[in-house]
Amino acid sequence: MNVDVLHTLVSGAIWRAEQLEEHQVGSASLAWGEVSSLEEELATVLSVSLPEGRIARRGAVRAALKARDYARAHSLAERYAADEGAPESLRAAFSSMLEDDARTLADQFHYAAKHHAVQEARELARRLKRGGAFGLAA
Amino acid sequence: MEINLAELREMHPRLPPDLAFALAARAALGLQRNGHGSPVAMELEVERAAIRGSLAWIVSDPTHLEQHDYHRVTEDGAEAITLALVHRRRGWRVVRRMQREEHADWLLEQTEEGPRQVVALEVSGVDRGSIAGRFAEKLVQVALSADVDQRWAGVVGFEEPRAALGSTEADRS
Repeated sequence: MNVDVLHTLVSGAIWRAEQLEEHQVGSASLAWGEVSSLEEELATVLSVSLPEGRIARRGAVRAALKARDYARAHSLAERYAADEGAPESLRAAFSSMLEDDARTLADQFHYAAKHHAVQEARELARRLKRGGAFGLAA
Repeated sequence: MEINLAELREMHPRLPPDLAFALAARAALGLQRNGHGSPVAMELEVERAAIRGSLAWIVSDPTHLEQHDYHRVTEDGAEAITLALVHRRRGWRVVRRMQREEHADWLLEQTEEGPRQVVALEVSGVDRGSIAGRFAEKLVQVALSADVDQRWAGVVGFEEPRAALGSTEADRS
């Protein structure tokens, strides 16, 4: 798919996701998942040296968080931060997005957050997803 | 300057057709609910310079107004008018929509004069009353946009009707 088509598709997908979110429709998170996938495709074809490439990388991570897919957001952020030529400002943007999201979650579940840090719980979830229960025990 | 919202998709070929149609239809509803008919004279202020304008659109069935969110008619309508205005005035074309956290609604490109530049554009609409305060707010917002060459804001008032368009650079000078 060429870049122009991807840009057209991501514009429509963002607009739809915004409308669903404004009306508090439950499937808004699915729509953000679609946005994240399209942003990821754009990030694949656009170099990090281009403004549109950096916007797409931020967009892929941010939309994954809006889709409540933290594991995907974390994995994309790690991958893009390791891109050769990724500026420090882009790495800082990923850290800031993930920290903001963890803070929002801690605010939502403040009793649980008193006992377990969000980052710790997410790290356990990632290890569980990657290696299953035995991987977690290892 | 004559602006015709029916030409929005030709101005911005990367706009999804359904989105271009929805934005233009909401602009029509926003103008019509303020008692305007197509075409209407419009006061335009671009980089603080006053320009006389004329705005035309395809008339929307006013009974459709109830199907649309009141606020979205104003905001989406303002986007249609501003996107048409930036193309007519500067020749810019939409690259893509941006997520809200990028501090702008649209990423545009300037390709007609000099090297290619990318432009962040933040847009808002005001159904009734002055647009000056909102315009100042939007310039502050778009100033935070990263990875672009220029940062612009556009605000449309539907009561008069009028529009203001300007860059953060001009705001600083």
